[in-house]
Amino acid sequence: MKLNTFISENKSLIGLIILMAAVSFANANFLGVDNMLNILRQTSINAVIAMGMTFVIITAGIDLSVGSILAFAGAICASLIGMDTPLVIALLVTIIVGAGLGATSGVIISYFNVQPFIATLVGMTMIRGATLVYTQGRPISTGYFDVAESFYQFGAGYILGIPNPVILMIVIFALCWFILSQTRFGRHVYAIGGNENVARLSGINVKKVKILVYALSGALAALAGIILTARLESAQPTAGLGYELDAIAAVVLGGTSLAGGKGRIFGTIIGALIIGVLNNALNIMDVSSYYQMIAKGAVILLAVVVDSRGKSNA
Amino acid sequence: MKKIVSLAAGAALLLGSTAVSMAQDTMALVVSTLNNPFFVSLKEGAEARANELGYKIVVLDSQNDPAKELANVEDVLSKKVAILLINPTDSDAVSSSIRAANRKDIPVITLDRGASRGNVVSHVASDNILGGEMAGELIVETLRGDGKVVELEGVPGTSAARDRGAGFKKAMYGASGIEVVAVQPADFDRTKGLNVMENILQAQPEVHAVFAHNDEMALGAIKAIEAAGRDILVVGFDGTDDGVRAVEEGDMLATVAQQAGMIGSIGVETADKVLKGEKVDTYTPVALKLVTK
Amino acid sequence: MTILLELQGIEKSFSGINVLKSVDLTIRAGRVVALAGENGAGKSTLMKIISGIYQRDAGTVVYNGKEVTFANARQSMDAGIGIIHQELNLLPELSVAENIYLGREPTKLGKIQWDVIESQSKKYLAQLKQDIDPKTPLGKLSIAQQQMVEIAKALSLNAEVIIMDEPTDALTDIETAVLFEVVDELRAQGKGLVFISHRLGEIFQMCDDIAILRDGEMVHQGPVAEITEDELIRHMVGRELSDQYPFVPATPGDVRIEVENLTAHGAKEISFSAHAGEVVGFAGLVGAGRTELAKAIFGENPIQSGTVKIDGKPIRLRSPQDGVKAQIGYVTEDRKQEGLVQSQELGTNMTLTGLDRFCNVLGFVNKASEAVTISEYIEAFAIKTRDANTIISNLSGGNQQKVSIAKSLVPEPKVLILDEPTRGVDVGAKREIYTLINKLKAEGLCILLISSDMPELLGISDRIHVLSSGKLTGSFDRDEATQENIMRCAVAGQTNG
Repeated sequence: MKLNTFISENKSLIGLIILMAAVSFANANFLGVDNMLNILRQTSINAVIAMGMTFVIITAGIDLSVGSILAFAGAICASLIGMDTPLVIALLVTIIVGAGLGATSGVIISYFNVQPFIATLVGMTMIRGATLVYTQGRPISTGYFDVAESFYQFGAGYILGIPNPVILMIVIFALCWFILSQTRFGRHVYAIGGNENVARLSGINVKKVKILVYALSGALAALAGIILTARLESAQPTAGLGYELDAIAAVVLGGTSLAGGKGRIFGTIIGALIIGVLNNALNIMDVSSYYQMIAKGAVILLAVVVDSRGKSNA
Repeated sequence: MKKIVSLAAGAALLLGSTAVSMAQDTMALVVSTLNNPFFVSLKEGAEARANELGYKIVVLDSQNDPAKELANVEDVLSKKVAILLINPTDSDAVSSSIRAANRKDIPVITLDRGASRGNVVSHVASDNILGGEMAGELIVETLRGDGKVVELEGVPGTSAARDRGAGFKKAMYGASGIEVVAVQPADFDRTKGLNVMENILQAQPEVHAVFAHNDEMALGAIKAIEAAGRDILVVGFDGTDDGVRAVEEGDMLATVAQQAGMIGSIGVETADKVLKGEKVDTYTPVALKLVTK
Repeated sequence: MTILLELQGIEKSFSGINVLKSVDLTIRAGRVVALAGENGAGKSTLMKIISGIYQRDAGTVVYNGKEVTFANARQSMDAGIGIIHQELNLLPELSVAENIYLGREPTKLGKIQWDVIESQSKKYLAQLKQDIDPKTPLGKLSIAQQQMVEIAKALSLNAEVIIMDEPTDALTDIETAVLFEVVDELRAQGKGLVFISHRLGEIFQMCDDIAILRDGEMVHQGPVAEITEDELIRHMVGRELSDQYPFVPATPGDVRIEVENLTAHGAKEISFSAHAGEVVGFAGLVGAGRTELAKAIFGENPIQSGTVKIDGKPIRLRSPQDGVKAQIGYVTEDRKQEGLVQSQELGTNMTLTGLDRFCNVLGFVNKASEAVTISEYIEAFAIKTRDANTIISNLSGGNQQKVSIAKSLVPEPKVLILDEPTRGVDVGAKREIYTLINKLKAEGLCILLISSDMPELLGISDRIHVLSSGKLTGSFDRDEATQENIMRCAVAGQTNG
């Protein structure tokens, strides 16, 4: 009975373990410490975005603008570093810009009653456009000042043998878990997703909470943009294309319902890892390009079907 | 026949610079995307040359969307431009745009990517198969015919990925000591180049050279190689500013310079010839250049 | 009398808990059988087994002389068993006719025959004496009319057995009267009817037979004429209800709330005041503006003019947030859509409004002290639940209502507005809620009680205001209030506009 509950509550984790076991049989290099850290580092970008997306999806919303915010924030950050701005200031400004862009979507959604899908679709298009205008369609290098080197280290360095992006991912995870499960704000997020009418009649400032949720999503997308820009020492105008879908997939794989009101940050991390492991496995097993997309789609479908079956039985 | 053509052309010239200055001096350039430095260079090359030759040039961005492309073409056709230069988003999808121009008797020149149907006066492009072969031969030569090689592919199914890959494989078949240990797609994207290369390095303890179907992926791969502390030759494709800089700094062995600016400017030159009634070839090749240090 | 449907020895259990224990039930043509029992007694489960939504574990169902097993609701529907659910299963965006023929639209060459659908719908509605245009979007109809549409749908299925689950709950007295005429008509046509209701008076007025369930067992079956109301209640709850409406005289304190010339959507120039430690009742027909008035006082319904004062100080009401801040509690009539997040836990629902009590300045929730409060309320209100983590939708209506009341009490309000607090609640839980109201009154809470159940309103209010068409048309002290003079005020506005 207890084991049953554990299994039904941790289906995505079990799925991840099965996937990893299968891949490790197929390729001996897979389970090495280096490759594990490599997977974690590659997953960190999607995981950071997906954690913000989890808040949005729990409120029964969606944020399609994260990929574009990532690109725009990356471009802003690269130019700041290129102008020899102190590292901390550059990072803070970039994250504030991301939060501001997200908050704008939130305002449009809650004050103008625009559906989240449409509001953030507009955001996705306009912010991508703004990125292209700002970068003139070219990558922006982080330049050759000393700060560029410490910026590179921020994205590519290690602390105690663990890549910095992985450490950031863990910190963000702890923070998001705390907010969602231990604070008033987290409760309000769940309540709004569960039933917005009930939330409003319970005296919750629904508009404010929604704006904050989209601001958080924007801020985390900007942070992902910072990590990406640091690792590549340049900002790509096309960075983050399609990332919103990877993030949504990670959230759903983690067991959060697109209908809102339910979901866990831990699940999202697992969901992001499933996608990361899959990408890594397809590369190291040298699967031909045409089959990769089919394989990815099949695994995601399988995971979601297993998850929803469990729910209807419960 | 030839005489008549030249007579007509002469008449057109005689009929006056006034008529010419109204519509005859406007060219339209519809670019698949301005989201990529390569096409930005192409556009700039075309604009510069058009200025020199005294033409006005209207540039429209199709944002990699065939539907947007068709809308763009319909827009410029309604503006009565003299000639349409088009860099298709897709060889098949562009056909309806080209037929629309054909119906209005506006000559069409394709740039970089060809069209499978419709009447095109000339196709201006560099030879991707040849470029892939050049890159492959350089790698074979530098490794002295012995070593393990990785290929990073572009978006699966695109003609550039197909042709560059085909040329590269041609060069590899000729060298018995070379082993291609991994062929993986990284979708022409720098971030994906980084991630895919990291993954391949996990699986392959020994890699001597990488050929990437474009510079963006090559630059991503270089980051992965640097971070892993490995020493691997990288050859890119396109000769973008960042790519050329990487070659100059010694990070990259070479890039096959698709001379984007030159494709644009030769496209405009060809268009100029067409408008003046001169004869042009159906395929106008643009020289590829191997950029090395 | 022909037996249409006979159930014998029906057993059903969910995750090891026996919810139906060898239940027998007989439905005869031309008779209305009342199915009574507290919430959780197994009424809904039994009806869901009849209609094929659940499968029985043991027992037999004989329909028209043949043993049947329905694998799903569709099969029972096709066989002629119509069920009108407590929560209407209709789509508000579609037209009346579309709702009646949903999923079985007659087609010709793949094209829906709208004219047939509409004329047939009109015919069935006419049988029910309803003059409703079949093209009207369902959402524009009153709840009572929507119920008639459900019945029309059952008729269109040629239903021989029609089950009505709490059909009168959302209806006004006049609408209920119309429904009863329809039931008489159906009985005369030889249909077999099952009528589930918490309103005992209706059972005696309407039904021929009665079947009483208690804790999954059929404890009594027989003609209604042979049972008294007291016996019925005793069978349902297994104990004597000596006093259905326990009233405790008020010792009113200071004036708590003053409403002056308040005008908002649905309410016109309403003035009244209420004291600490008293229950002020609000009577009126459905649509008289009582809920609108309550929501205006709570900040949900924008106030156009007039003032609301708490303890003599005027308050600003722009949103429910302001209402909560002004220490006003509102228990909605619509638990499902406005009261509780159905998909979430009992505990988080209960503290949703008053979460500030357990938060520090940074907004961190002190879960330990929160858990203490939750379990105190569970105990004090006798909420039947395994623990605080039970999902709300798994609780019975009465228990949900108690959670809903607890939820509005957690922030420690000075004024509590109860909007139809006993709707969809069984007799036992009703009494518990009345006791609770008296207790809160004794503790000095100022309670505004909206109810369409007249005996209830008369039974526990200290004073009663009557609303009609958004206006206050009468005010009575407890000793002058009677059903007759309240009803006179309630219909007053209806006739002279």
